[in-house]
Amino acid sequence: MTYMWALYAREVKRFRKLLLDTIFSPIVSMVLYLAVFGVVTANKSIGDISFLAFIYTGLLGMILVNSGFSNPGFALIIAKNLGAIVDLQVTPIKSWQIGIAYALAALTRGVFTLCLAVLLTIWFIPGIHLYHPLMLIAVVVISGLQYGMLGVVFGMWARGFEALTFVTTFVLQPMIFLAGVFYPITNLPAPWNTISAFNPVHHTINLFRYSFIGYTDTPLAVSWAFVLTVSVIFFVLMNWMCIKKLNEPVQ
Amino acid sequence: MQAALRVDKASKTYRSSNRQPFKAVNQVSLEIQSGQIYGLLGPNGAGKSTLIGMISGAAKPDPETGAIEIFGHSVINDREAAKRLLGIVPQEIVVEPAFTVEEVLYYFSGMYGVPSRERGPRIKAALDSLGLLDKLNEKARTLSGGMKRRLMIAKAILHQPKLLILDEPTAGVDVALRQRIWELVRELNRSGTTIIFTTHYLEEAEQLCESMTVINKGQVIKQGRVRDIQQEFSQNLISFELFDRDVEHLPGVRAIGTMFEYVYSDLSVDMSRILAHYSGNIKTIHNESASLEKVFLELTEGKA
Ligand SMILES: Nc1ncnc2c1ncn2[C@@H]1O[C@H](COP(=O)(O)OP(=O)(O)OP(=O)(O)O)[C@@H](O)[C@H]1O
Ligand SMILES: [Mg+2]
Repeated sequence: MTYMWALYAREVKRFRKLLLDTIFSPIVSMVLYLAVFGVVTANKSIGDISFLAFIYTGLLGMILVNSGFSNPGFALIIAKNLGAIVDLQVTPIKSWQIGIAYALAALTRGVFTLCLAVLLTIWFIPGIHLYHPLMLIAVVVISGLQYGMLGVVFGMWARGFEALTFVTTFVLQPMIFLAGVFYPITNLPAPWNTISAFNPVHHTINLFRYSFIGYTDTPLAVSWAFVLTVSVIFFVLMNWMCIKKLNEPVQ
Repeated sequence: MQAALRVDKASKTYRSSNRQPFKAVNQVSLEIQSGQIYGLLGPNGAGKSTLIGMISGAAKPDPETGAIEIFGHSVINDREAAKRLLGIVPQEIVVEPAFTVEEVLYYFSGMYGVPSRERGPRIKAALDSLGLLDKLNEKARTLSGGMKRRLMIAKAILHQPKLLILDEPTAGVDVALRQRIWELVRELNRSGTTIIFTTHYLEEAEQLCESMTVINKGQVIKQGRVRDIQQEFSQNLISFELFDRDVEHLPGVRAIGTMFEYVYSDLSVDMSRILAHYSGNIKTIHNESASLEKVFLELTEGKA
């Protein structure tokens, strides 16, 4: 196990060295979103929560998903380009442990970013308080890991940055935008509301938002079932992709 | 004694969508006893690095491969145990720009399971023996080529592997540093590490190892004790220089540059014959046996 933790520590060290780029840019973009939507939606509300709080929690969930995905994705592509991937091939760490080490590092970065984002911005969201802290921790850990594993899948798969950017733009971003970050998915016209109900990111955001402010637009049990099933699927995919890619020289 | 490395009919075919499958290693077998320093020789593209890749886990052997075992642990079925016993210095120098020398070594040895409190002293000892201790806190990227090469060696020895494979450790390294690297290799060997290395400098193989395998185009073309191979291929030559080159020559005498050569079967008989024939015309004369360099060229040019 030392093996895997050393790799985890290395990856955490890596993003700590690039702290400004990796942590602040998602926060800055979140603040921009908030500023725009804050002005537009100043006095609106959904049920008994303010629209601003709705968007706010959605944006925080988005940070978690995004940084989970991009940290291992980019780290692995850089490692492949440098040839440093050979370090992962020759050391006695099991393939799934390599994946998990990267996913945990992604989670760590996500938590760092999230805490900082909350600290910097929560003062501007009126009347917000933590609804279910324990569940929030569980949701953060599971979602951060989950999208970290997805990041490992695509980081291993992608030959270069273009391919990863392609996946981010055409797969991940649409999933995030159809996840109910900016509006409840029940407000969407058919067939988008049905599609969104099968979107794993939606269930992550839903659980996150519920544990943060107590608002949900999908039954919690359904969301939990989704998130846990998808986590298992991502784990299996990740393990398969790591074995496949680490057993051969980079082409 | 247990074999440090046993390779039984290993093959590797590279496949990619846009090219013909290419068999880079074809049914190579080796057995290297524990405690040896062993040479793996062959021209560019022979398949040495591919073979090492299969041993180290960076390239998956073809399914028909018999076995690859490090101290009895299969690299296919018992990967982690096999990898723990192996240290590897890849041919390509890779440094991660983000980290210092110390960080590179700290994390990498951790990935081999070296406990964190032991890493510091081991890193210092390894860097010291490689003359790199003063670079401990420098960014790995700012090191010179030869220093980076030494850093790669340090990475491979921190977990105290029982088998150390060096893929051209002295490529692009100056003479003094080459000496230093071989000194370290000898010392590691004395303390019980089995060593395998590839090189293009044949005198290194001649000086360092007892046995070797020569591969070409993915296949073993010669295997055995260095001395035996040398002897088998040594053409026993008498070479001499003449004051006057335009004389009638004995049959079998060839002109090589300014010298003349004769392949002898019995040294004293043939030497006397030549001395009698050319007598006062001889400026210099001596006998020699082929160097490994010559053997190697003959082998890899397909004469064998
Ligand atoms: N990843 C790869 N994909 C396809 N072909 C490869 C790959 N790696 C090596 N080869 C091919 O396999 C052959 C053997 O290469 P290898 O690197 O094993 O040779 P080598 O003996 O180490 O040569 P050198 O002395 O130059 O290092 C070469 O023809 C090379 O082009
Ligand atoms: Mg090579």
